[in-house]
Amino acid sequence: MIEAHRLTKRYGPRTVVDGMTFTVQPGRVTGFLGPNGAGKSTTMRMTVGLDRPHGGTVTVNGAPYARHRAPLAEVGVLLDAKAVHPGRSARAHLRALAATHGISNARVDEVIDLAGLTSVAHQRAGRFSLGMGQRLGIAAALLGDPATLILDEPVNGLDPEGVLWVRTLLRSLAAEGRTVFLSSHLMSEMALTADHLVVVGRGRVVADAPVADIVARAGTSAVRVRTPETARLADALTRDPALRVVSTAADTLEVSGADAPTIAAAAAGAGVVLHELAPVQASLEDAYLQLTGGEVEYRAAAPDATAHARPTSGAHR
Amino acid sequence: MTTAAVTRTTVQPVTFRRLVTSEHVKMRSLRSTWWALAVAVAFFPLFSAMRTSSMVAVAADASPEYLVGPVYVTSGLALAQLVLCGLAVVTITAEYRTGQVRSTLTAAPTRLPALGAKLLVVVVTALATGLVGVLVGWAAAAPTLGAARMTVDLTQAEHLRLMFGVPLYLAAITAFAFGVGAILRSSAAGIASVLGLVFVVEPAFSYVPWAPLQQIATYLPTAAGSRLISSDTMGSVIAGSQSTTLSAWQGYGVLLAWAAAALLVAAVLLRRRDA
Repeated sequence: MIEAHRLTKRYGPRTVVDGMTFTVQPGRVTGFLGPNGAGKSTTMRMTVGLDRPHGGTVTVNGAPYARHRAPLAEVGVLLDAKAVHPGRSARAHLRALAATHGISNARVDEVIDLAGLTSVAHQRAGRFSLGMGQRLGIAAALLGDPATLILDEPVNGLDPEGVLWVRTLLRSLAAEGRTVFLSSHLMSEMALTADHLVVVGRGRVVADAPVADIVARAGTSAVRVRTPETARLADALTRDPALRVVSTAADTLEVSGADAPTIAAAAAGAGVVLHELAPVQASLEDAYLQLTGGEVEYRAAAPDATAHARPTSGAHR
Repeated sequence: MTTAAVTRTTVQPVTFRRLVTSEHVKMRSLRSTWWALAVAVAFFPLFSAMRTSSMVAVAADASPEYLVGPVYVTSGLALAQLVLCGLAVVTITAEYRTGQVRSTLTAAPTRLPALGAKLLVVVVTALATGLVGVLVGWAAAAPTLGAARMTVDLTQAEHLRLMFGVPLYLAAITAFAFGVGAILRSSAAGIASVLGLVFVVEPAFSYVPWAPLQQIATYLPTAAGSRLISSDTMGSVIAGSQSTTLSAWQGYGVLLAWAAAALLVAAVLLRRRDA
């Protein structure tokens, strides 16, 4: 369990994390979602005591990280791929880390195997690809068999097989009752992996809810209707003032405020032929953009000021 | 490979001893460490053999107070100390350059024990390297020492001090360099500062013919520390300044104070700064 309370961090005049309060519960995968510069990485660094907060507190499994006598057994952390000396082999890196907690070499080999690095464990980490570096970071995070995992962009640079591996691994770790907290800018990945989301923008929590709730809150889920007689159908539908009808193409309407069976019944009553009737589900991406639209720190200079800036990949310092 | 560990893992609390083991693994597992140590040791036989044999031809004319065996045997120290100081600086600065420090400090979030463990490994490495260097240097000079009318006699207090002062001096100067590296957190800045002090600042102080400056110069790290390895008649292989009033062990104490000061600042900064 991770509990952040009014957590604040400033870099010079810039407030990067601005009074964040949230709780990451065990037994489920919690996603940490937000645009560039929203304070995700900084929050994670403060959680494991690398950065000192200017205000507020953050505890892991009931105590500040530095208070734990065997921190690697409490928290496994992957901050970014570059937390390894490039001149050291993967095995030597993990053995050095393991030695701090009296963890056996057998466990080192076990996590190497788990991360699929057995064939390259003797190679210097500097020769690793980004994906292999991520696997090494995940192996290091798992070393102490921790109750809580904190992973910053774990699928960054992984091939599709690796992405699937991480997703399955994180879900199984959560199913074992562990706390899993991961940041990602890949919303499709979050939709598949996370149960719960903490969405942040400009250093503040803008949403803290189950994934399904956040998608639902993105509002107007509509129904797309294709028909050669759009005008007649629109007339028939707008007799009900609760319905909103928008024409999106010559033969297409988007109807909100009614479900597909209601629309089908109205069409049958008016004798209108339908070619397509499909619910349009708001995606996590829509929900995310809606939540963070006003909170984007680095907006592309778009000619249309109302256009949503699409956040790009993680802001690593 | 799709699930977490099957077996339960035994994890023990972090102790200073375990941190030392970890730092030892880190030191040993870098190829650059072994290169640096090999080069540092190699300077001893190289210089001792060269300088001793160069005395063979002129020894007959030299006055005996300039024929102090240990001074020639340990003359590789001047260059060995540079290599070991560089290693000491890089041991800590590379952690920051590579991001390794984030792994190190998440495993040891109280921070200071990790710095202490690393310092201990660096200092013991320098001590051992110095000891090996002196012995290898002695062996390399042995065939020509007699012809150069010199001896190394460990029953003489001065000879003993000159020989075994070398590893002690190296331990202290590397501790100082390590402290500077930990303060600056940059390899280039750290090495430049330590070498700049030894090669530029200290000589500049001692060569300017102004008494107060020369007085200060005797309290700078290598000038003071090298008193331990200075022959009473010949001076040291490292520092040029002779105008010192410090005894051998006082000088060494001054170097230790420099090292302690650098490490203290490093420790305070390590506690305060974000990693």
